[in-house]
Amino acid sequence: MNASLMFLEIWVVALGIVMMLADFFFCVTPERKRFLAYLGIAVLGVLFLELLGPDAPTGTAFHGAFVEDSMAIFFKRFFIIAAILVLFLSSEFSDSVPGGILEFYSLIIFALAGMLFAASSNDFVMLFVSIELITVTFYVLVSYQRARLLSLEAGVKYLIIGALSSAFMVFGIALIWGTAGTMNFTELAQVAPQFLDNKIFLTGVIFLFAGLGFKIAAVPFQIWAPDVYQGAPTPATAFLAVGSKAAGFVLLLRVLFTAIPAVTARWADFLIIVSALTILYGNLCALPQRNLKRLLGYSSISHAGYMLLGVAAISASGQSAVMYYLAGYLFTVVAAFTVIALVMQHLDHEDVSALAGLNQRSPLLATTMTLSMVSLAGIPPLAGFFGKFLLLKAVIEQGLSTPNHGYYCLTFVALAGILISFYYYFGVIRAIYWSKDTRDLSPIPLSGGAKFLALLCIAGMFWIGIFPNTVLNLANAAAFGFK
Amino acid sequence: MHVGLEQYLTVSFLLFALGLLGVIMRRNLLVIYMSLELMLNAANLALVAFSRFNNKLDGQVLVFFIITVAAAEVSVGLALIVALYRRRQSAHVEDLTGLKL
Repeated sequence: MNASLMFLEIWVVALGIVMMLADFFFCVTPERKRFLAYLGIAVLGVLFLELLGPDAPTGTAFHGAFVEDSMAIFFKRFFIIAAILVLFLSSEFSDSVPGGILEFYSLIIFALAGMLFAASSNDFVMLFVSIELITVTFYVLVSYQRARLLSLEAGVKYLIIGALSSAFMVFGIALIWGTAGTMNFTELAQVAPQFLDNKIFLTGVIFLFAGLGFKIAAVPFQIWAPDVYQGAPTPATAFLAVGSKAAGFVLLLRVLFTAIPAVTARWADFLIIVSALTILYGNLCALPQRNLKRLLGYSSISHAGYMLLGVAAISASGQSAVMYYLAGYLFTVVAAFTVIALVMQHLDHEDVSALAGLNQRSPLLATTMTLSMVSLAGIPPLAGFFGKFLLLKAVIEQGLSTPNHGYYCLTFVALAGILISFYYYFGVIRAIYWSKDTRDLSPIPLSGGAKFLALLCIAGMFWIGIFPNTVLNLANAAAFGFK
Repeated sequence: MHVGLEQYLTVSFLLFALGLLGVIMRRNLLVIYMSLELMLNAANLALVAFSRFNNKLDGQVLVFFIITVAAAEVSVGLALIVALYRRRQSAHVEDLTGLKL
């Protein structure tokens, strides 16, 4: 028993509880609420520096159910940074969240705890509980603006589809465990080759994919994403887009490459098809969208498809490309949602046209949004370009080393998807700079925190894009150490 | 007649299929939610049956986790559905049309 590995999670859960109770013990004015958010951010920052430094301990605990390896540490750093950015964003958004912003903060922190457990899970029980901790917290976060009908509707849709996918996942776990006789991923990897032709085992694996595919919004489990992205409060959408998706990916990597590598090796075609369909669906459906958050919902589906390229490559370099891409995606997406939150907080619609004349209303926000769109589209020197390059490189390498021609088709589909995506990303940029009907040209007041957050995201995008070495070395260590 | 693992699994598959059918066919949110619980319980039955016939207890432990998590999920879910009902005076999925293209 080695519970000291779980210090980080214990601290994060404690922080969430303190944040929730703070409402009772303080007479909370808006300034104090903001102060509490900054306090939470500071605590997370200290935890990051103290417990996730270069010499963070590694090992396993709870009979191998909880594993702390270089991949877990990479994702834990990612999740903590994501939570810090989202807490910042929520503190700017507090006017639009009636009835307790502090609970909103504490729910974000509880979801973070679920993600941290997900990063370390090496056992189906752990996988199930951590994924449910994330999902149930997000039901509340998504429907948090309960006076807004759209938010409630998004919450109910997320609830039904989320519960459906977790039912599939649990049934899949039952079938896998029933045939293979072990819940532990490491032990399962040893016995899995015996069950390659066992229909019950393979049904279980497919059902498990349904649960994980829901979290990352991969075709055919992507239906919820645009609706939920549109209806949820903007900080919750941002956390859903980065945190929840990354949690799905870390579990997917663990299941595919630690638990059932034998099955994965056989199912390359299946992964290629899912990846190609996800890229095409996300990009094609984003084309006619006018609602900015909905557009980003479809764009997040297509990015899940890009990241599945690295998974479909079934190689360590593919996995490291996925992790690198997620790191760049974090800053890019938070930048976009920061601008949406600040510009559209007091409007009754979230149409792309609301960005008209943003370059005159607030040059900083216009720059942030432009850079974010350019990075999402994948243009050098920003983070998105190098990430897409690494993913495609991993796919082509695999195509060269195996006789599977599917990899070349997949490369072609991905390039086509990237080209299509230029249209709608540049549509957003055009709306900012070259819009004809600019009715409202009043400057947007920005607080110091908002400016800092926007600059932080810009710095992150450039840092990961121009100096990829730091993040890439960490991702490589995680992927290759993990092999 | 001897009741073996196969019979339990058949019942469990039937329950799961019934639940799925309910989620797809029914139009009332509460009934859909009940069908979802049926699907979770189908999984519980499969786990307990596997546990009994494989002589391992891991499955029964997971069942406890599933029951607990399902309770948490229901408490959040019902609260959400009630909040929606208060706003719309309806719990039908046809009325959930605010979010579209």
